[in-house]
Amino acid sequence: MTSPPGGGTSRRRPIAVPVTALVLSAALGVTAALGGFSDASNEPPKQLGPGAVVDQKQFLTKFVTTRTVFQPDEYGPGGKRFLEVELEVTNKGDETTGTGSPGPKGFFFAKGLLAMNPAIASDGGPIVNIADEGVPSRQLHPGMASTVVLRYELPEGQEPPEKVRFDVGTFEFQEQFTVSPGSWTLERDGEADDSPPKVVAQVTLPVEAPVEAPAERGEEG
Amino acid sequence: MSAAPPMDQASPAAASESRTGRRRPPRRPGRMRRAGALLAGLSLAAAAVALQSTALSAEERSAALTWTGGLGEEVVASRFSARVKGVYGARSVQTTDASDKVEKATTSGIFVVVTLEATAHREPQQFAAPVLLTDDDKRYQATDKVDSSLTIVNPYIQPGWWTEGVAVFEVPVSALTGSRIVLPLKNGFIGETYQPEVEVDLGLDEAGTQRLIADAKDVYPLTSTQ
Repeated sequence: MTSPPGGGTSRRRPIAVPVTALVLSAALGVTAALGGFSDASNEPPKQLGPGAVVDQKQFLTKFVTTRTVFQPDEYGPGGKRFLEVELEVTNKGDETTGTGSPGPKGFFFAKGLLAMNPAIASDGGPIVNIADEGVPSRQLHPGMASTVVLRYELPEGQEPPEKVRFDVGTFEFQEQFTVSPGSWTLERDGEADDSPPKVVAQVTLPVEAPVEAPAERGEEG
Repeated sequence: MSAAPPMDQASPAAASESRTGRRRPPRRPGRMRRAGALLAGLSLAAAAVALQSTALSAEERSAALTWTGGLGEEVVASRFSARVKGVYGARSVQTTDASDKVEKATTSGIFVVVTLEATAHREPQQFAAPVLLTDDDKRYQATDKVDSSLTIVNPYIQPGWWTEGVAVFEVPVSALTGSRIVLPLKNGFIGETYQPEVEVDLGLDEAGTQRLIADAKDVYPLTSTQ
């Protein structure tokens, strides 16, 4: 090999390292400006309406309807008003689980209903069960579709909302190294342990006109 | 020198060769040793990987000790014995509790009522919710539409005599064929592993399933024995 005449090698500047450093820092800056690696949400939640079916992996959930229910008092005037949300839930898992309760402190199926907008502050949360089979049940058996009803008692003087919107999450099966073989947990929006549950869909249901429910103990009493 | 005349022709190379030649003899077993060590290391790694495949799965680590049997047989487990006497289908179950309150539960699938009896060997035992285990390993817990006080979960199983009871399940019709009933014991707050359980094949082959569905009662009555 012959070097170029005029001692060209001596004029070469050490630019590779500064250029690499510049490119790296620029790339890092752009990544950071766009929100980093893990925190960018993949896609916005789907906006759905009545009759929508959401695949929550452990469950297939159809949002059927929302209605207000007036239950007259058995003895005397007055009564209680409820907001009822009717869902059709199919357990796609391998074992029986419960209807549970909604919200961040919830359990089982209803835990996947992350939030309701507007919230109704009924004492102890709504009653969640399967009510159309003679005896109320709180079990969701594998491969069976059940009509699950969430019943929120409306506080005195509060008007029922015109529509409600549910933030719906999804479940994932987590293998465990310890004694139990694994469990279903809410899918999270990000890598961190404390990141909020991922909202896959927002379902807006118009609240239908009031329905008169029979008094609590039936007519014979 | 005289013994190796060609060395004279290339004296620097010969010098270096003779230098390395002097060192070579102690090195040769070293190379062998290195190969041996490599081989030993590889075989140890392979053995470690092979050993992993014998590790217990999560289920094997935690699962109960299961005694199996068939319909009508007395299945003797470590702490209790159980016998499944009959299997019935029902479209609804009517329950009458101790205060004479009557309720009728319906289902979109089918109710499976299993009649059984059990006795304990030394200490009184109590069952946890029985499970119907299907052919494809789906687990159906006993239905909560029938109050547990009316089922085998309620009484203490005492030594010395047989206690009778029922287990009621709610399943889709497609889950019936090949299903088994599992009778686990109640577990304490700190879960005990390797508890005994009894698993009984309900004898539902294709024909048995068809018979169960065809003979399913419209209403299966259950009454509190108290």
